[in-house]
Order: sequence, then structure tokens, then C-alpha cells
Amino acid sequence: MTEKPAHSAPGSVTPEPLHQRRTFARSIASLDEIFAFVRALLDARGVGEADAYAIVMTIEELFTNMVKYNAAGSGRIGLEIECGSDAVVCRLTDHDSERFDVTRAPDVDIHQPVEQRRPGGLGIHLVRRMVDALDYDYSGRRSRISFRRTLTGTAAGKENASVGSASGGSDKPGLT
Amino acid sequence: MFEIGYGEDGVIALSGRFDAAQCDKAQGFIDAAGVPHVFDFRGLEYISSAGLGVLLKAHKRLLASGARLRLINVNNHIYDIFRFSGFDKVFDVAR
Repeated sequence: MTEKPAHSAPGSVTPEPLHQRRTFARSIASLDEIFAFVRALLDARGVGEADAYAIVMTIEELFTNMVKYNAAGSGRIGLEIECGSDAVVCRLTDHDSERFDVTRAPDVDIHQPVEQRRPGGLGIHLVRRMVDALDYDYSGRRSRISFRRTLTGTAAGKENASVGSASGGSDKPGLT
Repeated sequence: MFEIGYGEDGVIALSGRFDAAQCDKAQGFIDAAGVPHVFDFRGLEYISSAGLGVLLKAHKRLLASGARLRLINVNNHIYDIFRFSGFDKVFDVAR
């Protein structure tokens, strides 16, 4: 993976953001294709592994939710990625969906006794801790989830950077 | 690619990317293995919430015998995911 310089040299030009969009079949089997698409873009920008992990995982969690909770929807699911020098913004769009605002899903109580822990709901819980902003928009059966991840840097010294968001995560509702 | 199998020491070893598309494969192997209690994550690059669900199910099966799921050679990024999910307090996780 190409490493991005931690600081630009004086007089250097900040690269234009890389911006790509594609659609994917409404199926968990699309994940391999999605990972390849996303990693190619992130690697081209020199995004570090911790940031890449968080971005890829967030996309997986949001995409699989769309597939799982709207399997009967028609058409493909859109993924748009804008990779700037200091942040990555992604948008997932389902054009045939009922409203479901993932930003309002409750957090998981991670302190519950293990006997009460259930596997469900963890996806959004983890997403909130890996992104700096998570937004939902719904209009005329179009459901769109957007997130922003501030990049923690890609210099060699950041190898031990956390997958967690540097800002502490996006706003999260209280437990129900 | 995700792989799950027995390592040289007989411990179940995972490698590659443990995402939602791999859960059936993982679950099938674990079910056939009986009640495994140690997983070697040396070759595992990535896990998502779907993979955590498979591990939680394996752990709950062990609870009946008083044992606890032990995960070894966990990389830093995956350890972060365990921390955020609270599973670092549930499983015995070694880096």
C-alpha cells in the first residue's frame, strides 16, 4: 500500500479528492466486490490500515443492514466514496426502501451479562465508534446513509492508530 | 479470502477476512468441531459484527461446561473491535 506523506512539503499541491460511485447487487455475496472497490480507492489515496479497516467495516455493516432488512427491494444499492486528503465520505443509497433511520437505532448495552448478550444490533453500535458523522436521509422511497471518517494519518508512526474515531465517534442516542 | 481450519497444533485457525458472507462457512466448521475453546487469529486480518455473532454463539456453548472462549494472536485492529463491543471482557483475548 502506498503511504501518504504525513505533511505536505511547502509548495506541494494537495491532490484532488478521489470520487467514485458504483452499484452492487442486493446480496451479501456482493461483499467481496465491495471490498475490492473500496480498498482500491483507499490504497490509491494511501489511506492507513486503521482508517481503511473502519471505513470498510462501516460500509459492510450498513450494506448488510440494507440487504437484510430490505431484501425484497428492487434494484441495486449504490455506494459513493469521496476520498479527500483528510477525510473520507461515503454514501449508501437504496432507491426502493421503507424508511429506517439507522442513526436512531439504540446502542447495545455492552455491560450486560453474557447470558443476555445477543449478536444483533452490534453493527450500528460499532459504526458509531468508528465514524465522526452518521446521517440518514429519506425521500420518495430513497433511503440514503452517509458517514464521514476523519483520517488519522498514514505515516509509519501511525501504524498503531486505533480503528476508533479520533473524535470519539458520532452522536448516539441514549439506550431505550 | 476467509479460511478456517486446524493449525499445526490442533487449534482452530482463522485467516483472511471474517465478514458477513463467511458466517455460514465458519459456523459449519465450528459446529462440526464439537465445542472448541481456542481460536488462533494469527492470520485473521478483519472481523465484523457478523463474525462476532458466530464467536458469541461458540462462547455461550462453552459456558455450560464452565469454560470461556480463548482467542490468541489477535491483531490491534481486531482488538479494538473487541473493546468497542465489550467482548474483550467476555472472551479471553490475547494479542
